[in-house]
Amino acid sequence: MAMSETLSYLRRGRGVRRHSWRYTVMAWLPLIVLLIAWELTTRSGLVTPFMLPPLSAVFGRIMEDAASGDLLTTIGTTLWRALMGFGISAVAGIALGILISQYKAVRWFFDPIISVGFPMPKIAFLPIMILWLGLFDVSKITMIAFNAIFPVVTATIAGIEGVEKQIIWSAQNLGAGRKRLMWDVLLPAALPQILTGLQVALPIALIVGILTEMAMGGYGVGATMQTASRMADSPGVFAGIIEIAIVGYVLVQAMAFIRRRLLMWHPEALDATAA
Amino acid sequence: MQAQINSQVSSQIVVENLNHMYRPARGQPVLAVDNVSLEVRPREFLALLGPSGCGKSTLLYLMGGFLPVEKGRILIGGKPVTGPGPDRGVVFQHFALFPWKTVRANVLYGLERAGLPKNERLKRAQAYIDMVGLQGFEDSYPSQLSGGMRQRTAIARTLAIDPDILLMDEPFGALDAQTRSLMQSELLAIWRRSPKTVIFVTHDVQEACYLAERVAVMSARPGRIKAIVETKFDRSDPHLFKQPAFIDKVDEIWALVRNEAMLAQRLEAH
Ligand SMILES: Nc1ncnc2c1ncn2[C@@H]1O[C@H](COP(=O)(O)OP(=O)(O)OP(=O)(O)O)[C@@H](O)[C@H]1O
Ligand SMILES: [Mg+2]
Repeated sequence: MAMSETLSYLRRGRGVRRHSWRYTVMAWLPLIVLLIAWELTTRSGLVTPFMLPPLSAVFGRIMEDAASGDLLTTIGTTLWRALMGFGISAVAGIALGILISQYKAVRWFFDPIISVGFPMPKIAFLPIMILWLGLFDVSKITMIAFNAIFPVVTATIAGIEGVEKQIIWSAQNLGAGRKRLMWDVLLPAALPQILTGLQVALPIALIVGILTEMAMGGYGVGATMQTASRMADSPGVFAGIIEIAIVGYVLVQAMAFIRRRLLMWHPEALDATAA
Repeated sequence: MQAQINSQVSSQIVVENLNHMYRPARGQPVLAVDNVSLEVRPREFLALLGPSGCGKSTLLYLMGGFLPVEKGRILIGGKPVTGPGPDRGVVFQHFALFPWKTVRANVLYGLERAGLPKNERLKRAQAYIDMVGLQGFEDSYPSQLSGGMRQRTAIARTLAIDPDILLMDEPFGALDAQTRSLMQSELLAIWRRSPKTVIFVTHDVQEACYLAERVAVMSARPGRIKAIVETKFDRSDPHLFKQPAFIDKVDEIWALVRNEAMLAQRLEAH
């Protein structure tokens, strides 16, 4: 539940738009202070550049990589895997959620699997995945989708089952059949919850993507960091961390943007535009 | 002629020895409707009165086909109810609008399901939106509307599909006196223009006497039909509310309802 609280906090954080630039600066200030402290610590000589390279050196490295084109391929590779896995988990997760909510037999089959599978650290399947699917994109993407699908399925089921009974009745009363009911009523009504599930799944996809790259290699931010670490190239490791942070932030913001777009009707969006 | 007879017969509602028990997953089962028998003639306007919690909404849900009939029967036009359908338009007590659809899209939904051509749909939706006085709010979402405006959207949505039978659950409950009186006239006008069988749940005795041809009073829970009173008045009379005959009828029904309301309170206190 802590996860969804964080998300609703993020969602509300979108109210930032209403505030002035001062608020924006204030919101970012802690991060800026942290980065300055980083730079100052490394310059003070308290730590060796090997343990903690100066921020400026790390940014220098990112710039170099950007100039040579390595940055684009590295981030592009990670993003492609994470987003593919996420996309598969989204489509399959919503479809499975619909089936479970509609058919008793499907529910009977998947209920225990999901109950056990959701809290399980699925990254433990990594060696098996390597055995079965090899070291390349297929096994990485499968691993990502396998991890990210759980919050999507559970959110879809909860969303569909939480639809107010009388809204369903009124649709049936106006002539909606079973199929219509799903597309016209159950899914739109469940959309806020489904999107929350996707918002949980997205960072999971990124995390698992990086982890699989660290474990299996094959380009991408995770693999590049692992290589840098083996070669005692600490600016390279920290550059990876900063890159992941930025990519993750952009993805989460993009997702929040999509949410606002899709839920124009929802009080959460209407309130924000009203002010 | 034949068609007319059919439509008359098909809008008759017969309820026989109907029971309904709610069985919540936790807690005691609740007998909400107890042995109700009621016959509503085709094109009749019947008001349903009764204390809060006596089972009025439940009765309407059963007729709407939303709850399974477990004991007794409900016949619509001689056929047992098997499920919901657009022949029986329902205005829900809590509106049950689609919050992701605008006012216009809400009203259009039933017309789309009925397969009307697009131009016709838009024209008809607009006519009913205008009728309930929501012009200018076509593109608003329900969460941007007041309670009364939501209720009027729900009324427009149901009236737009022009059902043979109207089941209305306190449809004017959220309206101010002025709007309410306007909506009452509109409803009567529609009913006169294209006669429908109407069951109209209300807590307002005067409204019941004014709109309906008969008023059924339900007892405290478990709901039974306690009395049925004829209330045929000349509705075109602008001074109807001051006529002694009308006032007497309101008082008579009030006495019946008050009695049951007091019983219901005592039941709750237990
Ligand atoms: N889903 C449910 N589960 C259990 N009991 C229910 C449920 N719905 C209604 N009841 C019970 O059934 C009884 C009748 O409810 P109903 O909503 O039909 O009353 P009502 O006459 O419409 O009341 P009101 O005038 O307040 O709308 C109530 O006592 C209520 O507690
Ligand atoms: Mg009710």
